[in-house]
Amino acid sequence: MKLEEIIEFLGERVPRLEVGVLEKVRAFVIRDFKTWWTYRLWVLLDITGALTSVATYYFVSRIVTPTALVNAGYTADFLTFTVIGISFQHYVWSSVSGLSEAIRDEQYDGTMETILSSRTSFRVFLLGESVFRFLVGSYFLIASLVMGLIIGAKFNLTLGSALAAAILTVLLIASHMVVGVLGAGAILKLKQGDPIVWAFTWLTQLFSGVLYPLGLLPGYLQWVGAVFPLTFSLDGLRRCLMNGEDLTSIAILGDAAKLVVFIVVMLPVSLWVFKVAYDSTRREGALGQY
Amino acid sequence: MEILEEDKPHVKLPLRQFYGVVWSSIKMMLAYKSWMIMDLLSTFASVVMYYFVGLQVNPLSLSQSGWGTSYLAFALIGVASSNYLWSCLVRLSHSIQHEIRGGTLETIAVTPVNMMTFFIGQTVRGYLVSLILLVGVFVVGITGLGVQFVMTSASLMAALVLFILMLISNQALGLIAAGIIMVHKRGDPIAFLVASMNEFLAGVLYPLEMLAAFPLLQAISMMFPYTYALDGMRRALILGASLADTGVLTDILVLSGFSVFLMPVGFVVLNWGYRTIRENGSTASY
Repeated sequence: MKLEEIIEFLGERVPRLEVGVLEKVRAFVIRDFKTWWTYRLWVLLDITGALTSVATYYFVSRIVTPTALVNAGYTADFLTFTVIGISFQHYVWSSVSGLSEAIRDEQYDGTMETILSSRTSFRVFLLGESVFRFLVGSYFLIASLVMGLIIGAKFNLTLGSALAAAILTVLLIASHMVVGVLGAGAILKLKQGDPIVWAFTWLTQLFSGVLYPLGLLPGYLQWVGAVFPLTFSLDGLRRCLMNGEDLTSIAILGDAAKLVVFIVVMLPVSLWVFKVAYDSTRREGALGQY
Repeated sequence: MEILEEDKPHVKLPLRQFYGVVWSSIKMMLAYKSWMIMDLLSTFASVVMYYFVGLQVNPLSLSQSGWGTSYLAFALIGVASSNYLWSCLVRLSHSIQHEIRGGTLETIAVTPVNMMTFFIGQTVRGYLVSLILLVGVFVVGITGLGVQFVMTSASLMAALVLFILMLISNQALGLIAAGIIMVHKRGDPIAFLVASMNEFLAGVLYPLEMLAAFPLLQAISMMFPYTYALDGMRRALILGASLADTGVLTDILVLSGFSVFLMPVGFVVLNWGYRTIRENGSTASY
């Protein structure tokens, strides 16, 4: 057999399809949704867990005095304060940790190398997974807020405050995608345990004012909260959803500006950290290892 | 025959097997030091978090429910015991899931190690490790955050008895969860549901008296053994109640009832799960 004949025999008659990034992201979302939806019992349990954690604070709110909230510039409503705190904290936590979990799952199942040996780059994989995680997170977020509404949380929504809340939510998502990429880099390198997601979860719970206004922390601890984008997001969102403030509020503009600065500064850093971890893992041939 | 024959007989003593299972799990756990540190710090962080939540609580509202004026003391018992219970409850099912995923459950099944010894060993290891966290939480609460408990020998004895009964009654639920996870592989629905309901309805973060306005929720909360354990431990450590206290005695009786009823059910479900996967040949699949 001549060389040309061998090439002809083995060659592909149909050229590979060039698939756009958006279409690949869509494919990831559909794939993950199908897997997620297979475990309907878990979808139900997850939503039950999210709703009961919100409902728990209905009872806690009955023994709380809202003086600290008023001093912090919010309306005197501990239930609404915690419903916003818990719902958005859970939203970003599930989205950020979900990204690391997605990588771990692919490594466990032995499909990570399969995906990356296709014409899909790691960045597209990360983007697709992030979009899916944030979509699922949004579902839980809406369910938690509706649950809050049912048990008596009072949201002060006007067109202006809703618009401001929407902008802050977009900034919240963008800033936490940055954290997610950092976590993804860490999990690629460390395999077991994810210090970024761990630190993010516990430090934000303590210092971002999820369950109490930051004014209750001693002065030397308050600066810790300033490191996390969730702190500014929660402050801004509470001002919109509790106080009805809009984009003309200096405090909300300040929160939005801090989030933008966080994204501008941290996005290149997280991409660089991720690249270093990714390249190093590839060199070691450990991309699919767990 | 000569070549293949084993020189040493298999270790058949259950106690030695049990010791081997516990020790091997502890060695494995010690290999992940960063995880241990993270676990410790997270547990302490949750206590500190409730210290700040407690600053917003009106002591008068809490004392009207009969639990003194310190919310941190109230929440510390709830948070520490529910965290402990959660980690014990899921320990067995998580390790089974881990072995199945790692493909090593089959390997263990073909060794002379009795599977029940393996399961009990994993459970005990969970108790021991989580106990370190539990003690750490109380030490941080008492020495670092100034929580005051009534620590007489009578109240400590009552708390200890309730604690042991809490473990026995809830471990039965852990056995049921482990049996189900062996067959259904994914996740841990029973443990998750029990933990969520415990957190919500057993009064971990608020006095149970608040549920009086919601009879249905109150009735559901009475169906969980943890509700009685938490009530009794708070009576002992906050109010100084001893084993002679009527409230504590009632809690002990109810918990004993739960234990007697649930433990055999737990072992039956665990056996059923193990038998099913062996019959299906799905010991290694997940």
